[in-house]
Amino acid sequence: MNNGIEKESSAELTLIRLRGEVDLSWSQQVREAVLDAQKLSRKVGVVLSEVSYIDSSGIAALVEGFQNARTKQGGFALVAVSTAVRSVLELARLDRVLPIVADASAIPEAASVPVWKP
Amino acid sequence: MAAVQARLAAHSEARALVFLADLSAALAVSLDLRQTLSEAVKRIAEFMDAEAASLFLLAEGEGMLECRVCVGPIDIAGLRIPLGQGVVGRCVAENASQIVADAASDARVDRSNDSDTGFITRSLLCAPLSTANGPIGALEVVNKRSGGTFSAEDAEILRLVAAPTSLAINNARMAHELVQQARMKREFDLARRMQKSLLPKRRRDGFPLLGMNLPAHEISGDFYDYFDLADGRIGFVIGDVSGKGLDAALLMVRAASLLRWVGKEGTSPSEWLVRVNEELCQTSLEGRFVCALVGQCDRNGEQVEIAAAGFPPALRYKDGEFTEYLSGGAPLGILPGMSFEANRIDLRGASLYCFSDGLTDVRDAQRQTIGAEGVRALIQRHAGASAEPRLRGMVTELKHLRLVDDTTLLLVERMQAQGPEVLLKRRFPAQAEQMRDIRNRLRSALDDAGVENALRDQLVLVVDEACCNVIRHAYGPGQRGDIDLRVSRDGALLEFVISDSAPAVDPETIKAKPLGECRSGGLGVALMEQVMDEWSLCGMPCGCGNRLTMRKRIGDRDHVGEIRE
Repeated sequence: MNNGIEKESSAELTLIRLRGEVDLSWSQQVREAVLDAQKLSRKVGVVLSEVSYIDSSGIAALVEGFQNARTKQGGFALVAVSTAVRSVLELARLDRVLPIVADASAIPEAASVPVWKP
Repeated sequence: MAAVQARLAAHSEARALVFLADLSAALAVSLDLRQTLSEAVKRIAEFMDAEAASLFLLAEGEGMLECRVCVGPIDIAGLRIPLGQGVVGRCVAENASQIVADAASDARVDRSNDSDTGFITRSLLCAPLSTANGPIGALEVVNKRSGGTFSAEDAEILRLVAAPTSLAINNARMAHELVQQARMKREFDLARRMQKSLLPKRRRDGFPLLGMNLPAHEISGDFYDYFDLADGRIGFVIGDVSGKGLDAALLMVRAASLLRWVGKEGTSPSEWLVRVNEELCQTSLEGRFVCALVGQCDRNGEQVEIAAAGFPPALRYKDGEFTEYLSGGAPLGILPGMSFEANRIDLRGASLYCFSDGLTDVRDAQRQTIGAEGVRALIQRHAGASAEPRLRGMVTELKHLRLVDDTTLLLVERMQAQGPEVLLKRRFPAQAEQMRDIRNRLRSALDDAGVENALRDQLVLVVDEACCNVIRHAYGPGQRGDIDLRVSRDGALLEFVISDSAPAVDPETIKAKPLGECRSGGLGVALMEQVMDEWSLCGMPCGCGNRLTMRKRIGDRDHVGEIRE
């Protein structure tokens, strides 16, 4: 699978669709794409269904997007997370911290303090 | 009067339906066909109000019909009638019912039996038994007890009875065939196991030969062998018998034992092939022949002498370079008096790959043969690993491709007596763009080592994180350098060593942040702590460069002894 970023934007919502292996070689692009989208739309979703690998630099980009959304009272979520990504999120114990939704319609209005569900 | 006739007709139709249903049911659940058929024929005779009834089956390939079941005053079981002759023969040949109203005057009737037995055939009705593949026999009823002749309605009923009868016979035949097939499969399994047992056991403690055999079919025409020679050296053989199937397998057994027998005497490879060729030429192989490569090497796998007969060229691999050694002569068993040129090969620091043409014939995803180039690429892809994981890795890769022929490979090289086996050894520029390839290589190396998928992915992630830390922090932006990755396994312990030549890093500064914390940075080290059993970072003795060693214990599984399927 080739790496790639696709965006669907409106003032309300931007969906960033990532493809391939998100690693140090292009995670900076992912970070910028997320931050740019947050300037444009109130809600941002990062679709991860076609991501077969993600490293900590990719995770960091997602974490930064989430933190940015909290500051700006915007909505942010990871959408349709692949098994590979979910494993890494679990390993990093971030699966309960970052909002994860099944589809774009479930992206919350505003990033809130995560609800800890043990 | 008409009403009575209609009622009678309706009554007989209902009776016929019940009879047909009962008979079909009995035939459908039949376990013992002979028993069921004789009961069926008896019930047919009763229902049709016939003095006698019989069932004939066609003997395949003989053009003869044989009476298998009969009821009536005369036992005609075993009676044979040529196809096309008499009423029964004609019925089957034409695949059409026959009604004979007056046997005495009908030309179709063969009355020779009547004169022998005193039985007088007056009227006859005969219906063919057939399957989708054509006629298989006939059902015949003789003489209405009431004295009349068989009606068109009788003929229709017999035709209807014939269908479930044919079906039952066909089912029984297929069941019989299945039993036969199962028996043959058992014998093939035995033959395959017998063949496998002829391949030599994997030998350890620095034995310089390792073989693998992947049969494309149930049994193989390929073989390899190695044995000790009186002078302390080792003799080895790899061969491929022309043709496939049982005949090739039997010739393979003969050729393999002949090659071993002659080879054990320690004769030079050229002479060894000459003698086996003479012996094979003394008996007819019916156009079959044997391709083989024989050789001798010392215990350290450093000096090798080989000779080959119609065998694909052996490949020597040393430091990324291949040298090809062409076959010295024609295949064995074709012409007596042939000679076979030998090659002496210096194998110090090198590996020798001898393989049957099945390896070059392996088909890739596009159904193209991988060819000599594909074999070289395969060897090169796995070159970083030590012998056993290397061959295991090659087998794993081949199994994802399509084998069209038996594939056998024999590796000669100096092997470590014990100690860790190297799964992956790689030097690469410290650049983020390199990591995708490294992850792929690491993934397949860990697969070959039998690490289960979830753990494999975690280990790949952690090694990636560690390399990225070297790229980002040890070297830093604008600084060029290499990373050395070495993955090895000692029993159940996996070891990952990542070395660089960047300025020394103070190990005290490497700190993991708590997991689950929403803050970027430091996650890589935290993951490493989480996944690995232990890790340590130390500076290189020269004062420049760092070495990170990480260890992970995996579930101990049996070492792969023989690499074969």
